[in-house]
Amino acid sequence: MKKKITFICNDENISIEINPALTVLDYLRDNKRLTGTKEGCREGDCGACTVIVGRLNGKRIVYQTINSCLLPIADLNGKHLVSIEGLNLDGLNIIQEQMVDEGGTQCGFCTPGFIISMTNYFINHSEYDPEKAALALDGNICRCTGYLGIRRAIQNVIAYLNSIPRKNSNQTDFLMKAQILPEYFSSIPKRLKTLSKEIQYDKPTEKKIKPRYVVSGGTDLFVQKWESLLESNVRFISGNEALKEIRKEGNTIFIGGAVTISEFENSPLIRKHLPEVTKYLNLFGSQPIRNRATIAGNIVNASPIADMTNILLALSANLNLTTNKKKRSLPLNEFYLGYKTLNKKEKEIIENISIEIPSKEHYFNYERISRRTYLDIASVNTAALIKSDGKRIIDISISAGGVAPIPLYLKSTCNFFKGKEINSDLVDEAAHYALSEISPISDARGSAEYKSLLLKQLLKAHFIKLFPQLIEVEVLV
Amino acid sequence: MTRKIVKSKYHFEPDLIETIGEVSIEEIKPWGSNDELKIIGKPTSRIDGAVKVSGEAVYTSDVILPNMVYAKILRSPHPNAQIKNIDTSEAEQLEGVLYILTYKNAPEIGWYYNTSYLFDKQVRYQGDEVACVAAESEKIAEDALHLIKVEYENLPFVTDAVEALKDNSPKVHEWGNLPRGNPDKYKRGDVEKGLKEADLVIEDTFTTQVVVHNTTEPHCSVAKWEGSKLTVWDSTQAIFNVRDSIAASLQIPASSVRVIKKYMGGGFGSKLEAGKYSVIAALISRKIKRPVKIVLDRREENLAVGNRPNSIQTLKAGVKKDGTLTALSHHSIGSIGAYPDGAGCSWPLRTIYKCENVSTEEYSVFTNTGKSRAYRAPGHVQGTFGLESLIDIAAEKIGMDPLEFRLKNYTDKDQVYNIPYTSKKLKDAYEKGANAIGWHRRNKVPGSSNGILKRGIGMATQIWWGGGGPPAYATLKLNRDGSVNVMAGTQDLGTGTYTFIAQVASEVLQLPIEKISITIGDTETCPYCGASGGSTTAASVAPAVRDAAEQMKAKLISGAAAILETSEEKLIYAEGIISVKNDPSKKITIHEIISKMRERVLVTTGARSANPEGYMINTFGAQFAEVEVDTFTGKVRVIKIVAAHDIGRVLNPKTLENQFHGGIIQGLGYALMEERKVDSNTGKVLTANLYSYLIPTIMDTPEIEVIIVSEGDSMISSVGAKGVGEPAIIPTAAAIAHAVYNAIGVRIKSLPITPDKVLNALTLIKR
Ligand SMILES: Cc1cc2nc3c(=O)[nH]c(=O)nc-3n(C[C@H](O)[C@H](O)[C@H](O)COP(=O)(O)OP(=O)(O)OC[C@H]3O[C@@H](n4cnc5c(N)ncnc54)[C@H](O)[C@@H]3O)c2cc1C
Ligand code: FES
Ligand code: FES
Repeated sequence: MKKKITFICNDENISIEINPALTVLDYLRDNKRLTGTKEGCREGDCGACTVIVGRLNGKRIVYQTINSCLLPIADLNGKHLVSIEGLNLDGLNIIQEQMVDEGGTQCGFCTPGFIISMTNYFINHSEYDPEKAALALDGNICRCTGYLGIRRAIQNVIAYLNSIPRKNSNQTDFLMKAQILPEYFSSIPKRLKTLSKEIQYDKPTEKKIKPRYVVSGGTDLFVQKWESLLESNVRFISGNEALKEIRKEGNTIFIGGAVTISEFENSPLIRKHLPEVTKYLNLFGSQPIRNRATIAGNIVNASPIADMTNILLALSANLNLTTNKKKRSLPLNEFYLGYKTLNKKEKEIIENISIEIPSKEHYFNYERISRRTYLDIASVNTAALIKSDGKRIIDISISAGGVAPIPLYLKSTCNFFKGKEINSDLVDEAAHYALSEISPISDARGSAEYKSLLLKQLLKAHFIKLFPQLIEVEVLV
Repeated sequence: MTRKIVKSKYHFEPDLIETIGEVSIEEIKPWGSNDELKIIGKPTSRIDGAVKVSGEAVYTSDVILPNMVYAKILRSPHPNAQIKNIDTSEAEQLEGVLYILTYKNAPEIGWYYNTSYLFDKQVRYQGDEVACVAAESEKIAEDALHLIKVEYENLPFVTDAVEALKDNSPKVHEWGNLPRGNPDKYKRGDVEKGLKEADLVIEDTFTTQVVVHNTTEPHCSVAKWEGSKLTVWDSTQAIFNVRDSIAASLQIPASSVRVIKKYMGGGFGSKLEAGKYSVIAALISRKIKRPVKIVLDRREENLAVGNRPNSIQTLKAGVKKDGTLTALSHHSIGSIGAYPDGAGCSWPLRTIYKCENVSTEEYSVFTNTGKSRAYRAPGHVQGTFGLESLIDIAAEKIGMDPLEFRLKNYTDKDQVYNIPYTSKKLKDAYEKGANAIGWHRRNKVPGSSNGILKRGIGMATQIWWGGGGPPAYATLKLNRDGSVNVMAGTQDLGTGTYTFIAQVASEVLQLPIEKISITIGDTETCPYCGASGGSTTAASVAPAVRDAAEQMKAKLISGAAAILETSEEKLIYAEGIISVKNDPSKKITIHEIISKMRERVLVTTGARSANPEGYMINTFGAQFAEVEVDTFTGKVRVIKIVAAHDIGRVLNPKTLENQFHGGIIQGLGYALMEERKVDSNTGKVLTANLYSYLIPTIMDTPEIEVIIVSEGDSMISSVGAKGVGEPAIIPTAAAIAHAVYNAIGVRIKSLPITPDKVLNALTLIKR
């Protein structure tokens, strides 16, 4: 089943009939023979395959890094794909030059991926912060350099860019002037607009063939079964604008079924009403993963340790499901029936997720511990939303991940807490109590005993962080 | 220039190699200090950098040839099994499948020192090769693998080295679970006597995990025949090893095989031996008469192409109250996987500290897991963790500063061979390193600082081989326009080989580096150099390049003397121009000389000189770590590492720093997160991807300060480099572990130091 896909690859307009589930990595390397984009793992874990994808947003293009090994070519429709070859000028640009001079490249296999991620950071920021720029490289693994040369290269590029006078030009124009982006970037908005008129988006006309898979960000599905995706009828929903919305009605926020972690993290609405929640999201996967991974996908994938799911459980989120004919709602904590078994019909998709905005009396905290701080799934995680008058617990909901076959809502622990006065003894007691509700197993991320121990610590951490004046740390350590 | 054949010794990894090599007779005067040099020792950006940052560099995995096909390997899902039958008929029917190789139709090619075959009916670990499918695309080959029906008879297996040593354990090979039937033993003096003389005897056990190289570019090979001539592009650290292995396997002359490796995505020891995939690609390609490409995937990387063995080390030390070591003993067990290799790790203990009474016993044990391979400082990384932990404990027990304790037991002599070192500046390294970290700031009582986040400082010592040795050759071609080609059969793994060769040629001939072009990694066009491993490449190859360049300079002077009708002694060479000493108006350029000689290219070949007799060449160093431990969650954060080393001459501070930073971060991964885990019930690897096998990211980097305390070692060679690839990784984990102890007051004796171990240890002391 081929599909027509129309996009711009670097400076070239492309329109091809192609298997829509083909990964952009394979397209670049095999079809286009552009081998600067490397394959290191095919699972989103190394960043050697990172590309930049630009999408038209009004008059401007919004560029993002994406792991091309997990990106179906279907999702390039109407977009601008940039690989390392698309960044090259006649000589080296300042990023490339600094990467060479500061020892940011050794064997060089990871290097195009780093240059791509660095360039994208500069495309998206007009004020630069070396630490944040480094964070934008959290999805790029280098086995040779030890990264310090890369960090210095970043600093030097920042110093260089800060030394160039800028009139209020937009960032892409500025980077062209600074000889970082090739000139053709200026033609992209117009060209994409023209292209977008030609594109036939996935119309429900193909409904007769029942899709075997629904792919959203693909960060789980392409890791788990890229080969069978190539052979199946697949419905791609990440481009579906109707599912992209984040809106507020009364006191409720609705998050569309195709909203990504990045979109959620950067949404002004979310930042205003759920500021505490967005704080932790830079620990979710890596920058390119967050640019693709969706909240609904995180929920449906049903990993017991999923971050967003854990957070949403504590926020008492509701799922609004739909088939073409029927809609229904249910609380997220009733969605999981057993290990990877869901209260969901095959045809149902999550149209949106709704959350009540917490009041001023609500306190939110999220804790996760992983062996590697960034780009690592947690061993144990827990979120807590506590309603309190500053002394007592009026209401509380706590989730716990990695300690049961499903993302867990700690129902009895919550009941145990309710109405009680907050102090160290209560927290200590409750943390012990929580162990009766969990059933961790030993695996690569830690032994069962360790996970129990860790959950206890993290439950205490909620209170140490949220109510420092009521807690004596020494009692809890 | 005249040559002779001499005996020379050098160490490649832990093997003492005695070679008979061809060297130049004329001794070239060793360079003085780097201050006297223009290019050597000066920060030089890598000359292969531009093609890497632009994505133009073509790695083996990028090679695409006309009519090329792809092959994928079917690997055993079982840890130990006998293949009863393989049925490939269904797979063959799949459209696009071109050829399938199994034990049934493959030639009997001995592998792993003839303990197995290229394709064997007996598979001994999850990942052992069972079949290979070549097809029009990688996807078709992959699909075909699923259609191959293999009947396995599962056999009892063992994945744990300690279990494998027991009498009733399943046997990985019929003859037992020790490759040579016995442990490797070493002894000097009398340990029992030494222990009796001691005021205190300390004994403890330390364990380290299996880690995997996980180079970013997987192992891969592309094979192409033209008539009887085979060309193989290979991601390898040893082009000549690969060439000879393939020639021997295929029973064709070595001259018919050309191995090319231009750029590669890392090696770290895992690409020192010829891979089965290279021979398989060549065999299938010969059969179907089309180029064949095999690229392993990340899972195969984690199963089948090597790892650093684990270790269970029990050490004993006899110590006097004044800190004198009276005896040291070491007993170690390590899993080498299913085929012969070594897991010994006692070299640091035999050599770092002055001690008369030493004994070691090393068990390298077969298990039904992926075979180990050399991994950046094999043996020394594990062994240093064990030894240095014991030394740290000993110092504390007698109430001595750990650094002072080490100085007390300093040795100026290699104690195994009882010969002096060519140079040893470890004392300087201790002193400068301690100053840089602020050694006095450490907790006088471990764990005594307040608060949830506790800081600590620790240190450890390293010793490694060094200096390289012959044979290593370089051919230099000088063109009329003063541009230079240098050819050497060595490899650049990202280590900077291209760059130092250009630097050496540029230094001697005083020609700009931009005019120098390097060809390495090609068995057909380059003279022989050894494998690139064990920090030997620069130390071996740089002197050969210098020799070639000095000969070229001599040739030019000789030519100029003939043309100018004067004697050679009266001429001086500067930047490609030769002039008469007292009459600078009389001069001649390279262009004129070569033109006059009616040549277009002048050629010289240089060789690495022999190592000095009766001396030991080693690198030395000390590393200091500062860490912060979150006692609430058990997480360790490394704040700073200071690395102070004696590595001979610094050829290029930039690429040197690269090697140190990279080695330290790999050591940090080893200390805190990397671990291959095998389920002992199923024999399967639980961490066969980068999602569960964790490598440090940019967010894990500490501050690093590199201090080099050495200059060129003129006893070794005309260049005086010892080597920098291995030293930095060796003491990193031990230094971090000691810093953790200094922070929290509980010693973690098993790597990696994960949050669960720290948290459990802290919980235990509270009880
Ligand atoms: C390198 C890497 C790092 C990661 N790190 C983290 C991490 O730190 N924390 C974490 O929690 N997760 C992590 N993940 C997992 C993954 O990114 C998340 O689970 C992600 O949120 C899944 O979303 P997706 O859109 O990519 O899902 P997809 O792969 O597209 O789909 C996953 C499942 O959800 C279904 N689905 C998607 N959208 C809908 C919908 N609207 N309605 C119904 N069904 C739907 C799909 O059919 C499929 O069954 C990581 C993954 C990778 C590859
Ligand atoms: S290939 Fe490793 S992230 Fe895509
Ligand atoms: S330079 Fe080798 S992996 Fe980064």
